Amino acid sequence: MTDDRLVIEALTSGYGETDILQGATLTLRRGEILALMGRNGMGKTTLLKTVMGLIPTRGGRVSLDGVPINGKPPAWLLAQGVGYAPQELPLFQDLSIRDNLRLALRGDRDLATALKIVERNFPFLLERLDQLAGTLSGGEQKMLILSRALMTEPDILLIDEISEGIQPSVVQRIETALKAEREQRGVSILVVEQNLGFALGVADRWAVMKLGQIVDEGACDAASRETVLKHLSI
Amino acid sequence: MALLLDIATTAALLFIVSAGLFVIFGVLKIINFAHAAWLTIGAYTTVVATKMGLSPWLSLPLAVLVGGLLGAVTEIAIVRPLYRRSLDAILATWGLGVVIVQVITLTFGRDMQMPPALITGTVDVLGLPYSSYRLFLLVAAVIMALAFVLVLERTRLGLNAQAVIMNETLARALGINTSRVRLVTFMLGSAIAALAGVLLTPLSSVDPTMGISWLIGAFMLVMVSGTSVTALALACLCFGAAQVLVSTWISPILGSVTVAVLCAVMLRLHPKGFARG
Repeated sequence: MTDDRLVIEALTSGYGETDILQGATLTLRRGEILALMGRNGMGKTTLLKTVMGLIPTRGGRVSLDGVPINGKPPAWLLAQGVGYAPQELPLFQDLSIRDNLRLALRGDRDLATALKIVERNFPFLLERLDQLAGTLSGGEQKMLILSRALMTEPDILLIDEISEGIQPSVVQRIETALKAEREQRGVSILVVEQNLGFALGVADRWAVMKLGQIVDEGACDAASRETVLKHLSI
Repeated sequence: MALLLDIATTAALLFIVSAGLFVIFGVLKIINFAHAAWLTIGAYTTVVATKMGLSPWLSLPLAVLVGGLLGAVTEIAIVRPLYRRSLDAILATWGLGVVIVQVITLTFGRDMQMPPALITGTVDVLGLPYSSYRLFLLVAAVIMALAFVLVLERTRLGLNAQAVIMNETLARALGINTSRVRLVTFMLGSAIAALAGVLLTPLSSVDPTMGISWLIGAFMLVMVSGTSVTALALACLCFGAAQVLVSTWISPILGSVTVAVLCAVMLRLHPKGFARG
């Protein structure tokens, strides 16, 4: 059995007549945390949306454990154990925390079990289930987004800029939760990030995206920060 | 007292007639101009059912069934490709309405039909004899509004529909089958409109174009209500009251256009209408 779980090969996709991804190739291995970095507009979010079936693939191939998944709808991917924490408008602001969590499940039968998983990482959410999501602070909203993605116990988790605009203590809590999930369940995690400290702190490997392509990747070590910074500098 | 009852029952009637259009607009963000045709189909369900010797009460579930099925066919065959082209959707549903009116005309002729009423007679309300049927409409509207709230707040379909209304992309990303939510919503809206058609029969002449006279009022009420059931109920009450007062004290002809005119004025002065904000 190969260790490669999610394999993205020469992936092309975009909006309108513009190709944002221009042949991106990346592999997420079993039980690893991979940080995908790059400046704004390079195609990181588009990559996640394309993998999740929210944007049609124009070329290339995405496979999950060797099975092609191009064109599969999000519901199918979620059923296969792929979780997703989006960056853009990621919560239903006018719904309660409970309803936001319920929407990640296909029925309410599994809610009690799922809430226990939420409690494992972010117990404060259970004390405020009836509070509207839109009234949570920025950091609390990020924890809710992550809880919603984790509560279905995915085997693969795609996370888009979860640390954006939140205070270091919350970033630390998120990092702890992600590491715990990987240790306890062996979940493979792809984090799209601009926060270099968080990304290199949580990940085993890194990759850098420029203009819709992966231009470099490597293992996280003492030299990673400098290498990545070179790629990110203008 | 009679005036108050007239206001309440007129508001109830407006709510019943607008409800199907409201459901479809609230979730799908398209104006279903075939709404008038669904109302007519509902009324003709009563005509057919009673001609077959069935109780007029049976036409209520029959109309829901017919409306729901036709709604499903319409959503799949006509509306589904047009969700991102709202103007085309309006034209397509308008065209569908015209075709349905012609089919009804060919089948039943242009003559006015007079199916028996569900309820006849009057009841005493604080010593005042008042139409039993209009009071029945009031009860029906309250049940309908409560059912809306119950479905929206307490059922999975309601939660999914709210998610689609608020952020369809996120709903899809969470694995919600938004196509199914749209289909079920359109079926529900069409079924409710057909049900409203049955409820209209004792108050309105049943002929192939009967729905059209109700369409503009329903459309304007939905426009000032957005996606809120409470806002729709409030709009029906306020503008229904205005309609009754104008009809009673000024002119029934002016009364018949009061709802549309007031809704247009409100949209000009306060574009969000009765909706929150």
